[in-house]
Amino acid sequence: MQQLLALWHRLLALSHRRRLERDLDDELAFHLAMREAEYRRAGAPGGEATHAARRRFGNVAYLKEQCRDMWTFHPLETLMQDVRYALRTLRRAPGFTVVAVAALAIGIGANTAIFSLVDAMRARALPYDEPSSLVQLWGNVMRTRLERRGNSYPDFLDWRAQAQSFEAMAAFNNQSSTLTVNGEPERLFGEFVSAPYFSLLGIAPARGRTFTEAEDNPAAPGYVIVLSNGLWKRRFDANPDILGTKTLLNGNAYTVIGVMPPDFKGLTDTAEFWVPFAFNAPPRVMANRGNRGWGALARLKPGASRASAQLELDGIARRLEQQYPDTNEKRGVEVSPLEVELFGGLRPALLTLMAAVAFVLLIACANVANLLIARSETRRREVAVRTAVGASRGRLVRQLITESCVLTALGAAAGLLVAQGAISVLIVQSPVSFPSYVTPGVDLRVAAFTIAVSLACGLLVGLAPGLQAGGVDLNEALKETARGSDGRRSQRVRNALVVAELALAVVLLVGAGLMIRSVRNIASLNPGFDPASIVTLRVSVPRVAAPAAAVPATPTGAAQPVPEPVVSGRTLLERVQSVPGVKAVALGSDLPLDGNASATIFAAEGMPPVTAENAPRSYTHRVSPGFFSTLGIAFVAGRTFDDNELTAASPAVIVSERVVKRFWPDQDPIGRRIKFGTLTGSTPWLSIVGVVRDVKYRGLPDNPTADPDIYLPFIDRNQQFSLAVRASVPPSSLVAPVRAVIRATDPSIPIYDVSTMEALIGGQTSQSRFMMWLMGVFAAVALVLSVIGIYGVMSYLVSQRTREIGIRLALGAAGRDIIALVVGNGARLVAAGVAIGLAAAFALQRLVASLLYGVSAADAASGVAVAVLAGVALVACYVPALRATRVDPLYALRYE
Amino acid sequence: MGEKGNEPAFMPGTLDMLILKSVSRAPMHGYSIVQHIQQASQEVLRVEEGALYPALHRLEVRGWLKAEWGTSDNNRRAKFYRLTALGRRELENEAEYWQRVAAAVTRVMQTA
Repeated sequence: MQQLLALWHRLLALSHRRRLERDLDDELAFHLAMREAEYRRAGAPGGEATHAARRRFGNVAYLKEQCRDMWTFHPLETLMQDVRYALRTLRRAPGFTVVAVAALAIGIGANTAIFSLVDAMRARALPYDEPSSLVQLWGNVMRTRLERRGNSYPDFLDWRAQAQSFEAMAAFNNQSSTLTVNGEPERLFGEFVSAPYFSLLGIAPARGRTFTEAEDNPAAPGYVIVLSNGLWKRRFDANPDILGTKTLLNGNAYTVIGVMPPDFKGLTDTAEFWVPFAFNAPPRVMANRGNRGWGALARLKPGASRASAQLELDGIARRLEQQYPDTNEKRGVEVSPLEVELFGGLRPALLTLMAAVAFVLLIACANVANLLIARSETRRREVAVRTAVGASRGRLVRQLITESCVLTALGAAAGLLVAQGAISVLIVQSPVSFPSYVTPGVDLRVAAFTIAVSLACGLLVGLAPGLQAGGVDLNEALKETARGSDGRRSQRVRNALVVAELALAVVLLVGAGLMIRSVRNIASLNPGFDPASIVTLRVSVPRVAAPAAAVPATPTGAAQPVPEPVVSGRTLLERVQSVPGVKAVALGSDLPLDGNASATIFAAEGMPPVTAENAPRSYTHRVSPGFFSTLGIAFVAGRTFDDNELTAASPAVIVSERVVKRFWPDQDPIGRRIKFGTLTGSTPWLSIVGVVRDVKYRGLPDNPTADPDIYLPFIDRNQQFSLAVRASVPPSSLVAPVRAVIRATDPSIPIYDVSTMEALIGGQTSQSRFMMWLMGVFAAVALVLSVIGIYGVMSYLVSQRTREIGIRLALGAAGRDIIALVVGNGARLVAAGVAIGLAAAFALQRLVASLLYGVSAADAASGVAVAVLAGVALVACYVPALRATRVDPLYALRYE
Repeated sequence: MGEKGNEPAFMPGTLDMLILKSVSRAPMHGYSIVQHIQQASQEVLRVEEGALYPALHRLEVRGWLKAEWGTSDNNRRAKFYRLTALGRRELENEAEYWQRVAAAVTRVMQTA
């Protein structure tokens, strides 16, 4: 307490140092005057009284110092002195200062930018209540490996009823739906969610309310809708009286009961509205325990751990497996932290980048350390003089470290500006789209990180010259001429630093090379179809007679009477076909890489009994006859559908090669029969009319699972479907006329997800491309910095050996001998750096394996990277070597 | 920062106590504190003036004294030190300790 009070007083005093000083003067002057007056009263003459008073008082300056000490922090004041001195020194060498600060600014700035991104992608960034206790529940299945499939509604209800570990549980699903306002249809993403969804996330509506449990009853759902703030403003002009009004969603009237606060777009970060989960699918589908694919969100009870919740759900899943063996064999539940679900995918990439920028910073530090060592050589006399007048060795080292810390602090300040700029570029230009609530920026935590990094750099950078200065031999240094002679030891340190720089640069260059190769490998991969010049778009064709709940794209269900669409698929296809510049058009319930595919279990005639682990499963697509020719998917056998087969009752089916390989490897597949569901099920047999090549339908570089594709004839029961338009003109120029022709056909058809096949492929490689360009930038910076480093060292070497070179030249050495001498020296450093760097790259590549496709550090790309580095580095050695040959022997000899 | 030359003329530690005691009745400036101690001790204790000011500032930093600028008897601006509540408590502690020590020393000296 006492200590604290004293500290406080001292801190206060810091702010009015000048007044303190004046007060002290006045106080002591007053005392002396009083004493003097007293002596005078006692009869002493004026001058004598003054002297006597002073004598009695003692050494005024010393006592003042003593009083001042009571108020000051000694170390702090010394530090300020050192800092002022350092700033003066740095100002005297502007060239050095600018280069060093720039290198540090790039290194620290890049680190700050990446750190802010990493820091912005943690649980606390999630805009929800206590996000760390939120988990997502995944229904999964053990096939050849564990696969996540999502949950079915009956499973979800059982989990919710039985599990005790959770405060609440909500099902959710993200779906696009048609919202019609004033006759204007628009396709929007919305979330279908259980009632507790909002309270689970801790988000209250800005207006009105959210759903009740009663409204979420699949038997009698409440037609109520909650709007996002954005949708409310955009489509409803922020109407304050919106609550209670009706709006058309998928042809049904829903009552608006609430508007969410701005920025809330649901877990999927794309939702513009919310309706009860009961509307997620038709009742028949909702009741099917085997129909999985939806999300479940839950909050752990206080005190419940994720592990205990997992254990509990394991038990529940086992009970369900016994109870419902048909649908739940090998089915489990996975409890996954929400944070991991939302950010986990990017984490390996971000950590790799963090390591990469750390390397860049280390290279920058090594460069600055080298510069400082070079300077400390020329400052040996200054150091010696300061030692001679009484500076202790510790004081000198502290001075040098202060100097380097001032340098890194300047670098950090500039680095913060670099980071600020880099962050915005990163977010805007990134091929990876970050969630809207990830808003990296320079905040307190990031600033603290930057300060810590710059201090660490300051110590690191100041250590080498600091230690060297400590070892200065006074006599030698003072006697010596301005040029240092014990450059040998420091040259070793500098060489080591350059080798380290080169090695780090090699690692980064190899890393960048691997990323570039990965991206090119994926891009050049044959996806099984021809993605060039294809425009893709999706439509949702309304029915003549409302209401019609969404019909699943899967053909598993028995036919049920469905109202006629306003326009048939065939009409739409023909209209689009007539647009000039259109080569071919195809319809499909989904298209490759558009993310709309869904899986179904099937059976092949005559197949041996199967288990849940190996029951054949396919991704099923309904396609028009021209689908394969339009997309360039090759036939292996048979033919495409004919027009007569485009009916729900048609038994014609086309399968991908993989189906044939599994069941009829050496036989003619045409005419073979398969059916959906199990062999004993009541679904009709389908007969194979064609076999096509396997396609990377669901992902690049490969499909997430090895399931085959099954194609059924396109029928108008598909309410939402995609169009693939092959263009003979630049595909983007077709978008407007195709839109126009669909609109002209029927204005009530919303058009959405307009893209090109090439853009869809680009979406698959976004993370690799993100890594590629960042790694590329870092590697380039590393290359430049390390080349500057080796150039500096070689230049210094040449200047140190001017005399020796002069003698050699005088003795008849040729210019090329000198060049060989200098470049040879440099080449040794380059070779060492490359060798160490390659070894490190090989050791580290394992850590980024998940980000690579089809390459290893042994790839030719690494060779190119190393060759580039070595080449540039040797050129950097050659320049000072050339300068060495121009040494005038006479001048060199007179130099000393 | 040697302490040589300003060793108090009396037992170490007692200077603080004497200062606190001096200003306990009314605020005083440095000079009058010197005079007060000298007179009250009947010229036995002569405070070395140089040592006084560092001590005053130390006590101020510790929060035992509070300094204010005022006007002296002869109408000059002077810095007056006043005892704070914290300082009063300290004075009591020190006085009590001093009494005990002094009594003990006296007892020792009286034996034999």
